[in-house]
Amino acid sequence: MLASDDEEQAVVEREEHDLEREPERDDLPRAEEARQWRAEFEAAARRPLEQRFRYAFIRTYKPVLDDEPFRSFGTTAEYRAWCEENLPSWLGYGHAV
Amino acid sequence: MAMRFEYVQALEIRDAFERHGVRYLFLGKSGAILLGFPDTTQDADLFLEKSAANGEAALAALRELGFPLTEAEGGELRRGKDFVQIRSGPFDLDLVFAPDGIESFEQAWERRVEVDGFPVCHPDDIIASKAAANRVKDRESLPRLRAFRDYWMERREG
Repeated sequence: MLASDDEEQAVVEREEHDLEREPERDDLPRAEEARQWRAEFEAAARRPLEQRFRYAFIRTYKPVLDDEPFRSFGTTAEYRAWCEENLPSWLGYGHAV
Repeated sequence: MAMRFEYVQALEIRDAFERHGVRYLFLGKSGAILLGFPDTTQDADLFLEKSAANGEAALAALRELGFPLTEAEGGELRRGKDFVQIRSGPFDLDLVFAPDGIESFEQAWERRVEVDGFPVCHPDDIIASKAAANRVKDRESLPRLRAFRDYWMERREG
């Protein structure tokens, strides 16, 4: 039994929130996050392509990756393995940080 | 270090590749951005059809765009290595001839989306390639990219 109406209301809100999260997949956004993303998508859709480019493409130095002018790999798997072995994990090109 | 990728350079790629008859699609986050996905990225990822003729055409187009590719490097493009990373040009470019998660260029081409004359992979193919690559940075971007795909499909069908 719940101690107060406030606690009961909090339980109801948590359950509603959990339902909104569609629990079958664990990488789904929370409802608030999904609303925020949708607002961002709508804002982006109103911008001309040239402006979207200006906002989207950035340039920062990536150690190792940017240190050679040209690299080629016989297979994509070889490229993935090279990234895994040679790049700092924080760049995110490997399977784990 | 190359400058950031600008809209005008995307236009130059589009026009040079068209002149030389290069068969290609924008892939990865740069493709998603062309479709309207609001996010950031550093380089352009191009998915090229794997054939000697297409590699030759891409080489000619890239040289015209100011990429100082040597004969040996050009040979790698002609032979159709699966992945070529170029950091010596006016902007950074990744050329992918066999992306993870996409069965064939032809199938991706059939599903492509045209945005202002830019051929772009369908969001389902962009998602499939990121899901198959399964890198940390892909796993971080996939939930938002999937939400964008749903939004994009709604708009397209609506």
